[in-house]
Amino acid sequence: MGDRGRRQDGVTRRSVLAGAAALAASSCGPRSASPPLRFWATSYEGDYAPHLMPAFTAATGIKVDVQSVPSTATHEKMLTAFAGGALPDVFVLPSGWIGEFAMIGALAPVPALDYVEDIVPSALALAQIEGKNFAVPWSAAPQVQFYRRDLLRDAGYDTPADTWTAWREMGRAIKHRRPDEFVFLTLLNWPDTLFSMLYQTGMTMLRERDTRGNFRSPEAEFAFAFYLSLFTEKLAPRALSTEVQDAFAAFAQGRYAVWPSWPSLLLDLHRRRAEIPRERWGVARLAGPNGFGPAAMIASNVAVSARTTQPESAWALVRHLTSTATELRFQQLIGNLPARETAWTLPQLQVPMLRPFAEQMRQPAMAPKIVEWERIQIEVQLVAEHVVRGLLTIPQALATIDERIDQILAKRRALVEAGRIT
Amino acid sequence: MTRRRTRAIVANSLVALLTAVTLVPLFWMVTVSFMPRGASSHFPPPFWPERWTGENYYELLVRREIDGAWFDYRVLPALGNSLLIAIMATVLGLLLTVPAGYAFAKLRFTGRERLLKLLIAGLVVPGQVAMLPLFLLFKELGLVNSYAGVILPGLAGIFSVLFVRQAALAIPDEMLDAARLDGASETRIFRLIVLPLLAPITVTLALFLFLGSWNDFLWPLIVLTDQHKYTLPVAIAAIVREHAADGELMMAASVVTTLPVLLIFLPLQRYYISGLLGGSIKG
Amino acid sequence: MTRPAMTGQERTAWLFTGPVLAIILAVLVLPVTLALALSLTDYSIYALADWDNVKFVGLGNFAELLRTALFWRALANTALFAVLGVPMAIGASLGAALLLHDATVRWKPLWRVALFVPYVTSVVATAVVWRFLLNTRFGLINYALGWLGLPPADWLGDPHASIPAILLFVTWKIFGYNMIVFTAALSAVPQDLMEAARLDGASRWGRFRHVTLPAIGPTLLLASVMSVAGFLQIFAEPYVMTLGGPAQSTVTVLYFMFDEGFKWWNLGQASAVAMILFVLILAITFVETRIGKRNAWL
Repeated sequence: MGDRGRRQDGVTRRSVLAGAAALAASSCGPRSASPPLRFWATSYEGDYAPHLMPAFTAATGIKVDVQSVPSTATHEKMLTAFAGGALPDVFVLPSGWIGEFAMIGALAPVPALDYVEDIVPSALALAQIEGKNFAVPWSAAPQVQFYRRDLLRDAGYDTPADTWTAWREMGRAIKHRRPDEFVFLTLLNWPDTLFSMLYQTGMTMLRERDTRGNFRSPEAEFAFAFYLSLFTEKLAPRALSTEVQDAFAAFAQGRYAVWPSWPSLLLDLHRRRAEIPRERWGVARLAGPNGFGPAAMIASNVAVSARTTQPESAWALVRHLTSTATELRFQQLIGNLPARETAWTLPQLQVPMLRPFAEQMRQPAMAPKIVEWERIQIEVQLVAEHVVRGLLTIPQALATIDERIDQILAKRRALVEAGRIT
Repeated sequence: MTRRRTRAIVANSLVALLTAVTLVPLFWMVTVSFMPRGASSHFPPPFWPERWTGENYYELLVRREIDGAWFDYRVLPALGNSLLIAIMATVLGLLLTVPAGYAFAKLRFTGRERLLKLLIAGLVVPGQVAMLPLFLLFKELGLVNSYAGVILPGLAGIFSVLFVRQAALAIPDEMLDAARLDGASETRIFRLIVLPLLAPITVTLALFLFLGSWNDFLWPLIVLTDQHKYTLPVAIAAIVREHAADGELMMAASVVTTLPVLLIFLPLQRYYISGLLGGSIKG
Repeated sequence: MTRPAMTGQERTAWLFTGPVLAIILAVLVLPVTLALALSLTDYSIYALADWDNVKFVGLGNFAELLRTALFWRALANTALFAVLGVPMAIGASLGAALLLHDATVRWKPLWRVALFVPYVTSVVATAVVWRFLLNTRFGLINYALGWLGLPPADWLGDPHASIPAILLFVTWKIFGYNMIVFTAALSAVPQDLMEAARLDGASRWGRFRHVTLPAIGPTLLLASVMSVAGFLQIFAEPYVMTLGGPAQSTVTVLYFMFDEGFKWWNLGQASAVAMILFVLILAITFVETRIGKRNAWL
């Protein structure tokens, strides 16, 4: 077991790669001799990815071992796996982590430009690091809102309102009819709703070459005040995901009318269609302060470990997974939205239900591409939770956030000032 | 006499009640694990399955495809890993610490007292302090994500050495000296005279080591990154973080983790509890 | 080695103790020394990219920690765990031990084992069970509260209830251990003293207060101090039950160290946390040995 790691440590990455390439080349003949490729993905992508492998194995003779990594522990698992020399050959990375994993040297650069041809521009923009490609976009997940058609209609709405004030007004109307239930399903440890709101105000979250927080701004205050009002008016619950054991059931039972969420919810809606029939729900873009705007977007990207011993096979798998045909199959299986432009011209994606997704994914919010961003998001949401629970006022919270960000970015600031990183 | 009788009744029922309350969570864990999916999410909480089903165990241990999704919880491999790791940790732990404990008690060698003092001082060091550098060291040695990496830190058994020493002190010196006069070698004395005398304490120690390794969580969580190598607690924690909604499935997973421990503990509990008292007196 | 040849005993002794001593050196002494060194550097994720990004920062990490609100929060949470948990756990152990000690109780070994069983189960597996027992809507605990006419609590959702909720679980899990220790101590209470007190007409409480308590007092105190050290090392419970929430109310020192170290890879900072934990445990052990000493004089 330890053999694998020992072989790789103490040797430069380049020499390992060269050796590995030679190894892969020499093993082209009897494929069965090489160990299966290891592939990691998170949540549904991991659960369903095995369906995509038989075609690949049939075409190439390469076996693939798929592991589904729990989403709440993905970041630490991947980092420790890298540090321990145990990263899989191929894995799925959300776009926000590409910069981090590229910086530590975990990712093999995409070997040819044709891997990233024909990608939806926003997905590619999210994935590129200083114009370089370290991962191939696989699917794009813009945040949208799922809503209960029946509950909205009862309150006099056909579709959700598109400005914040009207959206909240709609929430009040629904709450008025059903005072014991909530309206908006956004939980206190889900940062994305708040971040979409922040993005929609057009604010710049960091300053001084992304080395300091920039939250003490009227825009942030505006977004926080709006976010807070959803909770003070009891339109959203003061609850964490550990408390709402089955959020989907709560939505299906009508305890919430609006759920800002991701395309992955499409699969739940399909799998649990017995709980909520198709005609009862719809999809719309998120409301913004003055109408639709940019919203948080996560793109899944397929990357190859810099230390893979089978780079050829690994890149062959990337090509297979990110092909239009495979992406369309995954769309059918789990509702993943393809990152290939071509896929969107085909009839399978020309359905009204996907329109809000297609529109929103052309207008993504661009998160700062720094290593610490993942952590900053979590910290901002933690402070927001304190605001919602009445432990901090908004100005206090924004000051706390800036202070916390400055602290988190201290190391980055020092390195930027020393000119070691940009 | 009647006062004593009432008192007996009160005391006995109180003990029975306390035991019942203590065992309810475990009992409930078992019954829920046999309920159909979603059956436990009702009020009042059901205590007994309306329909007994093994589907949770089937899904957890055998079935792989649900609604077209491939769920491989890898619980059976985790069970295997846990067993392998716990057995290795126990056997190696005994091999390393029983002779050492005896040596510290009965063999004369230079530096013994000083080493002993250092060991006792070392008892204070919490293992968690060593974890971060240990990870970096193991990274250099290629031990991250390996069984050896999980087992090794547990083998630094200061407690075990002192525990065995405490027991070995009771062996009469005359017995050993007599054997020496008869020309027996030190290893022979250890094998033929000391080991049989230490047998009960060895069983106790083996139990401690096995259960300690089986229930260990933080270090395996850190050092194992590949699901094929996960131990049961790490696998269960991963599943609960992802499938918390499936209460019945989680209970089945808990049963699978708890049952082997009880199967080993219950028949040998006498050794465990007596050892615990010996250990606590020493500290 | 210029010394005369070792005796057979000496050779055997080194053969017997050498391996385990070497392992202790390698996986305990060396890493702890390195942890101290690491805590004086700014080892972060940037160091994974390039070792040159590591700098010696002296006590900078410690100064930084003292300015980090979440660290204080973690310390406070851990302290709260200990302050509430020790009386809860020791009280439960003592109660159970006194109950078991009563002369009229039959089948003692059976009860003893049954009450001890939670102690040997896996924390992770039983924490999963308790997460469901503590569920606000469908949990048995709230059902039992309702039965007693009390309102349901939002156990794992309310920042003020989360620590007591986890402590309910921890108490359930560990009280058997000290119960066994206390039963042993109780059976060592001198019977003649007890008899004398009874003849003097002392009440049951009086006998407990003046005979039992002084006799088991040292054991009780020692167990309490040792429990504090145990509560300082709480990790798996919040990891499985609350992920540190709600509002970070269950982030413990060790949880903070794990996140800082292995989630964000700030090993320098995390090592500083480890060092502080070490010092705290040292302090407690010091108290423990002091008690032990006083114990010996008495």
